Amino acid sequence: MVNLSLYTVKAVLILDGEGKRLYSKYFHAPHEQISDESIAVNLKKQKEFESNLFSKTHGQNSDIMILDDMLVIYREYVDASIYVLGAIDENEIVLQEAFNGLKDSLELLLDTGIDKRNIQEHYDMVVLAIDELIDDGVILETDPATIASRVTKPPSKDIPLNIELNEKGLLSAWGFAKSKLAERLQQGL
Amino acid sequence: MSTHTYKKAEDPHSGSLPDKMTIYQDCLNRFNESPVNPKLCRTLITSLLELISHGETFPAQEATALFFSISKLFQHPNDSLRQIVYVAIKELCGISEDILMATSSIMKDVQNGSDLVKPNAIRALIRVLDESTAFSAERLLKNSLVSKHPSVCSASLVSSYHLLPIAETTVKRFANETQEAVGDLKQLPYPDENSRYYPTTSHISQYHALGLLYQLKNHDKMALIKLIQQFAGQSSPLKNQLAQVQMVKLVHQLVLKDTNSIPQFLPLIVNWLQSRHEAVALEACKLTAALSNLVPSEVFAGAVSVLQGFLSTPRVTTRFAAVRLLNKISMVSPEKIVVCNPELESLVNDSNRNISTYTITTLLKTGTNKNIGSLIKTITKFIYEVNDDFKIIIIDAIKTLSLNFPEENETILRFLMESLQSSEGSLQFKNSVVEALMDLIQFVPQSKEKALEELCDFIEDCEYNEVLVRILHLLGKEGPTTKNPSLYVRHIYNRVILENSIIRSAAVLSLSKFALVKNDPELVKSIEQLLIQIKTDPDDEVRDRASIALQFIESVKSNNEVSNIAQNFIRPTSTYDVVTMESKLSQYLSQGQEAFQTPFDVSSVTKYSEDEKKALDLKRRQEQAFQHTEESSNGNGSGSGNGNENGGRKGDRLDDSTFNGTSLQEEKDDLLLSKHIDEMSSLEQFQSFGKRIHSSKIVPLTEIEAEFVVKGIKHLFDEHIVLQFHITNTLKDIALDNVEVVCQVEGLSEGLLDDQEEFVLPIERLLPDEGESCYVAFKKLTQNSDEIVVERFSNSLKFQSKELDPSTSLPFEDDEGFQDEYEFDSLFLSPGDYMKPSFVSNFAATLEELPYESVSVYNIVETNTLQEVIDKLIISAGGLPLENSQTVSHDATQHTLKLSGKSILDNAKALLSIKMIKTSKGIAIKALVKSDKDTLADDLSNNLI
Repeated sequence: MVNLSLYTVKAVLILDGEGKRLYSKYFHAPHEQISDESIAVNLKKQKEFESNLFSKTHGQNSDIMILDDMLVIYREYVDASIYVLGAIDENEIVLQEAFNGLKDSLELLLDTGIDKRNIQEHYDMVVLAIDELIDDGVILETDPATIASRVTKPPSKDIPLNIELNEKGLLSAWGFAKSKLAERLQQGL
Repeated sequence: MSTHTYKKAEDPHSGSLPDKMTIYQDCLNRFNESPVNPKLCRTLITSLLELISHGETFPAQEATALFFSISKLFQHPNDSLRQIVYVAIKELCGISEDILMATSSIMKDVQNGSDLVKPNAIRALIRVLDESTAFSAERLLKNSLVSKHPSVCSASLVSSYHLLPIAETTVKRFANETQEAVGDLKQLPYPDENSRYYPTTSHISQYHALGLLYQLKNHDKMALIKLIQQFAGQSSPLKNQLAQVQMVKLVHQLVLKDTNSIPQFLPLIVNWLQSRHEAVALEACKLTAALSNLVPSEVFAGAVSVLQGFLSTPRVTTRFAAVRLLNKISMVSPEKIVVCNPELESLVNDSNRNISTYTITTLLKTGTNKNIGSLIKTITKFIYEVNDDFKIIIIDAIKTLSLNFPEENETILRFLMESLQSSEGSLQFKNSVVEALMDLIQFVPQSKEKALEELCDFIEDCEYNEVLVRILHLLGKEGPTTKNPSLYVRHIYNRVILENSIIRSAAVLSLSKFALVKNDPELVKSIEQLLIQIKTDPDDEVRDRASIALQFIESVKSNNEVSNIAQNFIRPTSTYDVVTMESKLSQYLSQGQEAFQTPFDVSSVTKYSEDEKKALDLKRRQEQAFQHTEESSNGNGSGSGNGNENGGRKGDRLDDSTFNGTSLQEEKDDLLLSKHIDEMSSLEQFQSFGKRIHSSKIVPLTEIEAEFVVKGIKHLFDEHIVLQFHITNTLKDIALDNVEVVCQVEGLSEGLLDDQEEFVLPIERLLPDEGESCYVAFKKLTQNSDEIVVERFSNSLKFQSKELDPSTSLPFEDDEGFQDEYEFDSLFLSPGDYMKPSFVSNFAATLEELPYESVSVYNIVETNTLQEVIDKLIISAGGLPLENSQTVSHDATQHTLKLSGKSILDNAKALLSIKMIKTSKGIAIKALVKSDKDTLADDLSNNLI
């Protein structure tokens, strides 16, 4: 049986240096029941799997392995490890492409490299990068720069109100004031 | 909830998670503020997502409240806030209610949002839609599909893909646009100046479009072929490697369904093998490996050399993929990958242990008599460096090796003993070593005595009770038939003196078996003496066992009527089939108090004598090694739905390289068979037929996709033959009434069988998706119950079909239905149905000994491969293939198949040695059958095909 489904990636996990969860997302196709045998079925099974995964990968430096009928591609950093899991019959190099997309885009986004503190500090960017990489198990994009360029930075503290003083700027200032007024009026009602 | 407390929770250095309720309250408050603070809101949502990612969930009510307040944030135009809002919406829509209310806000973004958030909006949109509202997204999805921006296009394609299960008709409406998207090379807009990154267009939307297009067209073979012609080949517009991989898979799917189409795709496959993308070349290699002998050998060699190249790349994943695939090939045709041996040998010490383990198991398969010895030496060094999981895999590989190279048993034995005696290794590891040794002793008799002696030494110093008990049992089983049984007695008795009670009781059992050794009264006497001493043991169990063993020995010696029973207790000649026993027992227990009045009927469980048991074991081993080839040919039956991801699981468990236990499929089939047999035996019509002698395996008589799926089972009784037809109605809106099978006897049996059936048990009504059995009984005309009746039955199904009332799902009251017929394959009662596999350790010698012989010659004109003929012969003769004669290399032109079996009627032995030669005109077969019964030999040889 050839697996022609686009649902390629089963899960993306980021664990810290002690095997504790930093990020986890188990994918399954929308509108499909998770089978009871799947490791994603409940939190207990997920945690069990993760600790097993960590014990099998920690300090091994093997980059790829098979665990519980799943293909695992991972990379261990100083105090964090990134895992991408796929079906056992998946094309290994395709999965590696997805993994590279994740790893390289995180390297681009997290200025000082991938480590636990950086991941926790920029959790929003990590979440967005993974969201841009994989959509419910379908590989959405593999080019790290494309992913990174689609991930927005957090908004700056003040609401930017740079009204340029040319014709277009004036028009937009007028539009802005009008919408603000309408908003206030609506709330007033 | 002040910002202050929230700030503290957010501090990442604390390392702990933010408090769930704090975040929940903050979210509700902050999101409803006006104007909202985008920065704070994004941080809050991030914390919320972190909580969810750590497995926290919210009850539906709270989730709905969260969802509602988050949707308030749509008022704020900040893209950076909007993006995280979409992630939160996707996370929450699984647990929240009333998610539809966000639809219009999201749709507004899909239409008017910036290029940045548009894809996010599209992907969130389809999460809030359900079956009844999905159609409303049609126009938006279609517009975004034709967008110039590749990310927007991809988002639309992937979203449509997600929608397929609930809105296929909607998605079908943009099949044309999807088709165009496959070939369309959309460029990313030039990044603006303040972007720090320089994205290159990956054209991945081609991959998404192709994936979606396949799902839309997978029932239309012609459309798929056209698709391949349009998008593969020389001028292929496919730039994305994932899309190309998808294309290879598509071809793979098609050629598996129709192997005749292979030549048409060969140029493509050759082209893909040369691809500069490793993923594509790898997928093409997988395809070639699966087709194996169906592609010309130079193409296969091409694939092997691609893999060979992969073996020496610095990229771990590529090496891993290559060696894994080579390992898979090595299970079927190791001779084809011998060229890779030099590269493989250099991978034995790869830093990735997965790779080195695969390498070793592969090398063990491709090894020849010459290099096996040195290979085992390399492994001996290697095995101490890896963890137990890998050790077990290697031992398993060695186990199969011992069956293939019986002449290397000494080297293998030494290796196994060293692994057993080494101080390292867990219980599981030692257990697998002992299992390997047991196999060796069972199937390679010349190694028996030496292995047993080594084991005796080992038990002197063994820390695992489980392992010790197993070895003691083995010694008791095999020891008495060796040349020098007293040696083992000494070792076993030492255990009685030195070990704990568990081992002592096992040792007592084992000792008692030696008391049955014939022609050595000295030994028997001393064992009795030993047992008498043991009767003073402090442990109850040990004492009991000793005294009961003494009792038995006494009654065996006294030679009275119970001696046989006693003998059977000490050394059972047959064992029960554990799987059936388990299911029967649990069935018995579930019947409740009343059923316990009658004791459990143990005779209903199949018994195996020792050589039958061995035959079964060997067969299982052989099938394990073979399983994955069958996988590729059987696996294409089930439809390829949207989420059909479980297809390849079973076969890959093997590839996963733990060879433990029996195959799941096998067990399932066995259970199904025993279920069908129970159904039959519970019918009163068959009670008068007496005891069922044998039942065949389940034979499929139609395609699995047929309207009515029919499977047949042949039951043999003393004077009757009962054919059980299990019929499944797969039509959705038709019920079948009075279903009966009309069997036409073709007359092969020449008057041994009544050509009119005795009776037919029809099925009254078969509703959709139901399966029931129809029975046809025939009476044998011969009085001689051990005569073999061979017959072919051509069958057709007769029934009244009635349409169903959709409201009641029952046929309309006044519908008389109309008579219909349905033909399916004929059922062949072959001599193989009278045979059961049995094991002989020395085929040539046994063949010489048997008195009666019969020779017959066949010629097969159809163009079959030798392997196909062999597979057929094994089934039709029902014997156990010995000496690895069940496999043949693909380019061989001649082969000898050696089968051994026993008649189920009277246990008459029969050996078959079937020579076959393949010529351009077909395959010539000469079968030599020898048996200790002349009619059996004749029947077998005359009815092989």
